[in-house]
Amino acid sequence: MNKNAIQWLYTELPRLVAQGVLTPDADARLRAHYGPVEPARPARLAVIIFGVLGALLIGAGIMLVLAHNWEDLSRPVRAGLSFLPLVLAQGLTAWAMFNRPQSLAWREGVGALLFLMIGASISLVAQTYNISGDLPRFLLTWALLGLPVVYLLGAIVPALLYLWCITEWACHLRFEDGFAAGYWPLAALVLPLLASWLRAGRYATRPTLLLWALCLSVTVAAGVTVERVLPGLWIMLYAGLFALLFLAGEFWFNEAEGFWSRPLRHFGAAGVLVLMFMLTFEWPWKEIGWHYWWGERFQHPGWYALPDAVLGSLIPVAAIVLLGMTVRRKTPLGLLFGLAPVLAVLGYALASMTEEYAPSAGLFDLYLLVAGLWLLLTGIKINKQGQMNVGLLTVTALIVARFFDTDLSFLLRGLIFIGLGIAFLVANLVMLRRKGAGHEQA
Amino acid sequence: MNKRNLLLLGFAVVVAAQLAVPAWLIIEREWTLREGQVFKFKTRPVDPADAFRGRYVWLGLEPTEVKVPDVNQWHYGQKAFAVLGTDSNGFAVVERLEREAPAGQPVVLVHAGWADSKKGELHLTWPGLDRFYMTERKAPAAEAAYRAHSLRTNQACHVTVRVRGRCAVIENLFIENQPIHAWLQEHKGK
Repeated sequence: MNKNAIQWLYTELPRLVAQGVLTPDADARLRAHYGPVEPARPARLAVIIFGVLGALLIGAGIMLVLAHNWEDLSRPVRAGLSFLPLVLAQGLTAWAMFNRPQSLAWREGVGALLFLMIGASISLVAQTYNISGDLPRFLLTWALLGLPVVYLLGAIVPALLYLWCITEWACHLRFEDGFAAGYWPLAALVLPLLASWLRAGRYATRPTLLLWALCLSVTVAAGVTVERVLPGLWIMLYAGLFALLFLAGEFWFNEAEGFWSRPLRHFGAAGVLVLMFMLTFEWPWKEIGWHYWWGERFQHPGWYALPDAVLGSLIPVAAIVLLGMTVRRKTPLGLLFGLAPVLAVLGYALASMTEEYAPSAGLFDLYLLVAGLWLLLTGIKINKQGQMNVGLLTVTALIVARFFDTDLSFLLRGLIFIGLGIAFLVANLVMLRRKGAGHEQA
Repeated sequence: MNKRNLLLLGFAVVVAAQLAVPAWLIIEREWTLREGQVFKFKTRPVDPADAFRGRYVWLGLEPTEVKVPDVNQWHYGQKAFAVLGTDSNGFAVVERLEREAPAGQPVVLVHAGWADSKKGELHLTWPGLDRFYMTERKAPAAEAAYRAHSLRTNQACHVTVRVRGRCAVIENLFIENQPIHAWLQEHKGK
C-alpha cells in the first residue's frame, strides 16, 4: 500500500476509535498489519538537494577563479593548477566516505562535485594545450573515470551524470558516423547498482530516479545505435522497447501508486501511444524493408550492422514473450500496450512487401482509436481521471491528425473541434462530481 | 582485508586513474612541444565576426584539399592521417593521406570532407587543430582589434604546430608574422 495512504490511515485511526467505528483491538491489528511508517522528512531531502547544488556551485566557482588570471600564469603552472579542482574534490570525497558514510547529503554532494571536477580537470588541460576535436573520446573518458565514484559513494547524482555522459557520447559518435553500440555494455554497468537499490527498497527515491533516467537514456540510445542497413527497423525496435518497459513495469513494479513511482509503466505507456500516433501517418512506412537494404552502400565493416540484428530482434522478441505471459495473467492494459510490437511487425511486413503505405497507417489508426476509447471508457468506469484524460487525448489527437490529412471544410472541422472540447469538459466535470459524491458518501 | 581497507584501496586506485588521465595529456603535449617537428600552417581568413567564439579563436587551417589517387574510395567524415611536408615558402603541405598512421613519420589526424571526383581532390578538416584559447579578460579587446585589422590581415595568419608521431599541438598563432598576443598589444590602441 502507498506510504502516504498508510500515513493518512494512521492519522484517522484515533478518531475512528474515539467515535466507536473501530475497536482498539482492530486499531492495534491494523497498525501491526501495515507496520511502522517512517515519517516524511522534507528537511532531509532539502539538505540533500542543497548539498548537491552547493557542491555544483563550489565546483563552478573554483573553475571561474582559476580561469580569471589564467593567461598571467605560465603554461606549466596552468597545467599544474588544472589538477586543483580534481584533487580538492577527491579530498572531500575521501573525507565524506570515511567520516560521513551514513550521510546521503554528503555522499550525493561530493559525488556530484567529484564527477564534474573530473571533466573540468581534463577540460582545463585541453584549454592549456589547445586540444579540441574529439568530444566523444572526452565524454567516454569522463564517464569511465566517473563510474567508480557512483559505486564508491552509492549516490544517484553521479549515476545520472554517468548516464548523461554515455548517452551524449553515443549521440556524438553517431553524428560523426562512428560505432555507438558500445553504449549498451556501458549502460549495463549501472545495473548492479540499480539491482542493489531495488533489493533494498523497490519504490525508494534513488532506484525510481535511476529508472526514469534509464528509460530516457535507452530511448535516445536505441535511435543512435541502430539502423545502418535496414530502413524502418526503428519502428519494430521502438514498439518493442516501449512495450517491454510497460510490461516490465506491470510485472515487477505494480504495487506503487502515483505517476512518478512507476517509471517503467508510465514511460512505456507514453512511448507506445506517441509511437503509435506517429505510425498513423504514411511517412514512417515509405521506403522501408528489404527492397531498400543499404548493404551495398554501407561504407563500414559488416559487423557495424550487428546492433541492427541483435537489438532489432531481441527487444521486440523479449516484449512479445512478456506479452505471452500477460495473456495468461489476463490484464487488459498489459494486452493493449503489449500488442504494440506485434502490430509493428505486421505493419512493417505489410508496407515492405506491398509498398502500400495506407494499410499499415490504417492499422495504427484503428489501434489508436480502440486504445483511446478503451482508456477513456475504463477510466470513467473505474473513476481514474488521469486514464480517462489520456484516452480522450489519444482520440482527440487521432481525429485532429486525420483532419489535416483530409479536405474537410473549415466549418466541419471547427464544429468537430468544438465537439471534442465539450466532450473533454463534460467528461472531467462528470468525473469530478462523481468523486465529490464519493467523498460525501464516505 | 577488512571492508574499510578494501574501500580505501579501491578509492586509491580510482584517484590514481583520475589523476593519470590529465597527467598523461600534459606529459604527451609537453613532450611534443619540446621534441616535436615544427610545421607552419597557413590559416584561412576567418570571418572576423566569427573569429572569437567565447574564449578561443576559431582556426581554419590550410590546405583544405589534397589530391588523392583513390578519391572515390573515401567517405565523408572518414578519419585519415595527413603525412606532412613543407613547401618552398616553409608552409606545411599534405604529401599524402593514409588510412593508418605510418610509423616513425609526423602525421596529423584529419577528417575527410566531400570528394571532388573531377579534380581528384578530397577536402579536409583539421579537427584537433581548430581552436586557439585566449583569456576572457583580453577577448573583447582582441576581438575589436581583430575586426579592425581583419581586411589587412587576410592571408597573413599562420599557426605553428609541433608534431611528434600522431600527437600534434598548436604552439602559437601569428598575425603578420607576430605572435597574436604581441600583435594585439601593438594594435590595441589603434
